Amino acid sequence: MNARALIKTLAMPLALAAIWIFFAVKEPAFLGPRNLSQLMVEFSIIGTLALGMFMILLTGQIDLSVGSGVGLIGGLAAVLVTKHGWGAPAALAAGLVAALLLWSLMGTLIVKQRIPSFIITLGGLLVFKGVFWLVINNSTIPVMGVDENLYSLITTYYLPANVGFILAAVVAALLGLLVWLSRAGRAARGLPVPSAGRAIVKLVLIAAAIFVAVDRFNHFHGLPVTFLILSATAAAVYFLTRHTPFGRYLYAIGGNEEAAVLSGINVDRVLIGAYVLMGVTVAVTGFMQTAYQGSSSTTVGDLMELDAIAACVIGGTALKGGRGTVWGVLFGTLIMTSLLNGMTLMAVSPELKYIARGSVLALAVWLDVRLGRT
Amino acid sequence: MPAPLLEARDLVKKFPGVVALQNVNFDLRAGEVHALCGENGAGKSTLIKLLGGIHPHGSYEGELRVDGKAAAFHCIRDAEHAGIAVITQEFALVDELSVAENIFLGRAPRRGLRVDWLEMQQRAAALLADFGLAIAPETPVRALGIGQKQLVEIVRAMDKKSRVLVLDEPTAALTEQEVEVLLEHLRRLRSQGTTCIYISHKLDEVFAIADRITVLRDGSSITTLAVRDATVPMVIKYMVGREITDLFPRRSGWSAVTPTHLDDAPAGQRVEVNAHHPESILAVRGLSVAPAKGKPAFLQNISFELHAGEVLGFGGLMGAGRTELLMHLFGAWGHRLGGEVNLRGLPYARPTPGESIRRGLVLASEDRRRYGLVLQQEIGFNLSLSSLRAFTRHGGRLDLPAEQVRNQFFFDSLRVKAPEQHTRVGALSGGNQQKVVLGKALMTEPTVVMLDEPTRGIDVGAKLEVYELINRLTADGKAVILVSSELPELMGMSDRVIMLHEGEIGGEFARANFSQEKLLAAAMGHAHAA
Repeated sequence: MNARALIKTLAMPLALAAIWIFFAVKEPAFLGPRNLSQLMVEFSIIGTLALGMFMILLTGQIDLSVGSGVGLIGGLAAVLVTKHGWGAPAALAAGLVAALLLWSLMGTLIVKQRIPSFIITLGGLLVFKGVFWLVINNSTIPVMGVDENLYSLITTYYLPANVGFILAAVVAALLGLLVWLSRAGRAARGLPVPSAGRAIVKLVLIAAAIFVAVDRFNHFHGLPVTFLILSATAAAVYFLTRHTPFGRYLYAIGGNEEAAVLSGINVDRVLIGAYVLMGVTVAVTGFMQTAYQGSSSTTVGDLMELDAIAACVIGGTALKGGRGTVWGVLFGTLIMTSLLNGMTLMAVSPELKYIARGSVLALAVWLDVRLGRT
Repeated sequence: MPAPLLEARDLVKKFPGVVALQNVNFDLRAGEVHALCGENGAGKSTLIKLLGGIHPHGSYEGELRVDGKAAAFHCIRDAEHAGIAVITQEFALVDELSVAENIFLGRAPRRGLRVDWLEMQQRAAALLADFGLAIAPETPVRALGIGQKQLVEIVRAMDKKSRVLVLDEPTAALTEQEVEVLLEHLRRLRSQGTTCIYISHKLDEVFAIADRITVLRDGSSITTLAVRDATVPMVIKYMVGREITDLFPRRSGWSAVTPTHLDDAPAGQRVEVNAHHPESILAVRGLSVAPAKGKPAFLQNISFELHAGEVLGFGGLMGAGRTELLMHLFGAWGHRLGGEVNLRGLPYARPTPGESIRRGLVLASEDRRRYGLVLQQEIGFNLSLSSLRAFTRHGGRLDLPAEQVRNQFFFDSLRVKAPEQHTRVGALSGGNQQKVVLGKALMTEPTVVMLDEPTRGIDVGAKLEVYELINRLTADGKAVILVSSELPELMGMSDRVIMLHEGEIGGEFARANFSQEKLLAAAMGHAHAA
């Protein structure tokens, strides 16, 4: 590994460390259990949306409508619960179905009518925003009545401490099993297997990290549900992009769409699939974000599309498509949300927050370009 | 003796995991045409990227000297200032701009702050006319064919008053007539004092134009010969390090004594189906295809049959419809107006690439960088891209170890020259990229393999490997459709040839009746004049 590649690999971790050290020095509460827990909730919400956006960006397309969509879908479920007396599960299901319909419609328009995704989703941004405000009638709609419900619990329920540790043990064991299965699969085919010692050290480190994280969460209420949702989403997207033909096709289409067509890939179907999955993550993010705010109001979801895109790009996803990883997206999201959270904690004025967000995005991409893309 | 115009001394260029050049020595005398010959991956492209400033000074070891003085090119512009213009295999034209705008890209004639469009048009028209090109200067480049684009690039470079013109495979996509025009112009430029480095796999061209030849092999300069002392076999021997006896080693799996000499059999006595191979794998009858719905037909009344173990060649001039025919059969081009296609006994009315691959019909495209490969991805990613269904297990999971084993098998058996299957395809030489394209097609386990210009821009050794592959395929009972612009290749490798002329069949020939004259006449629409 040459110096350049080393800087490139270390640039993002160093940037994250610098951000954390800066805020920790300026405001010791930043690393306190309460704030860390809150940071992780914010990280989980934006991360889920960014993972949906990641699959869209891989194909070289874009989706600008997701911020409005987050507001609309969250608002729709809130209205159904509060105004129409629906049960929370039914309201959430209705929101999910609405998102699936809207995003399959947009995907179909982009693919079948050959309208650029930038335009269709820009239209979506405005239309969804308008429909959103109509749905909530420009007012503030709480996500629950007198009693807590499934909707409000998304961001108010925490796993009890011992359940958290049991879950951590199960996840660690599952990871161990997956690593072992993968090694056995390679060995059975006569392929070289990476050294067992290394794998074990890596696994032990990951397991330790999981336990430390759960322990930190347990210092404040316990594991938040949003974090579990993000973990499940990340695992699903990782599996999709690395271990299924669908994921390969996302990379192939973004890398060279004409070659993808001639390779026999049903490009239209894959693209619509990516938008439908985007719809799912929009719905889930909408529920989380609205529940986090406690109610649906006109500003929910504002600019979240840009946060999601920024998180992907900071994490090394190419806007031209064909390049990016789930780990990078999670990392980019962590940088983005740490910055937002720290500035809020320090009561930085909104003007400066916008400027800082924009500058970090530009800086990250500039660094990436300077250090050479592989 | 004066100092050479350009000199390379002990050049060494390393990429991660590969030594592309080692100890390359090379000198260019003013006013000569100097050919660089070598197999794919021999280092020709790397060498000219050094000369052209694309690999900047400091990224390599050794020395470049211009007019006897050490030169350090830090960017392409430095090289251009020294008078070196490189024309690469990849087009550097802006598709959306006109031919005139492209010729004067970045140096448009001006009147005050405004671009002087009229002068630009006139100068471009004069240049094009001077080059013998019937292209209107206001034509958008996107409307040009691949051969015309190449010529426009050459016109642009020649107009830049360069001292050294570096042409990397300039004729790979040109018709013989266009090649002749190009060579004529190079001779004229040479007589006016321009020096030229000429890279081509077509040795007959090299011998027609070059004064000296430098042969590269495995990154080293092997020898420099004066053309008058050299012979083609001698150069090939230096290039491959061994002697090649048979340039077109077609071993027919298809009996040569078949009564399919359609071209001069009287009507009524034609024997359509070979008695030894009665099974036709692909049958096309009366096919007419338009570029798009509502457009007039471009391919008209195309009929042919293809049998197991057979190589059917398609020839014709540029624009005759060969590529379009293949792309249409595969399901990637055009709107069918009429006619029938039968694939393995079943009607095939609505082809799509995915369905074609499932039915055992594959296409390896002529434009591999555009249609064949995802350049930023690994070799393995590309090899298995069309065959992922074979590795998909329950739950939609890919069996990655099985895929890797299969990729490795194709990587090894095609002898792709790369450190490993995880190397990016974009880093490979043209011939090795072509092998990956072929590997991708073959991994789908096809019955009918359509090869569009499979040896374009690749060297003698790699060509031989492609020919061997064709032999292996037909020996296995598969059928091959071969499109080639090179008549010797078409005649050497086909059991039967159909010449297309302006979207129609201009003539069909059995192997016994092959002759360059007859085939060319059919390509030009004079099937019965020859």
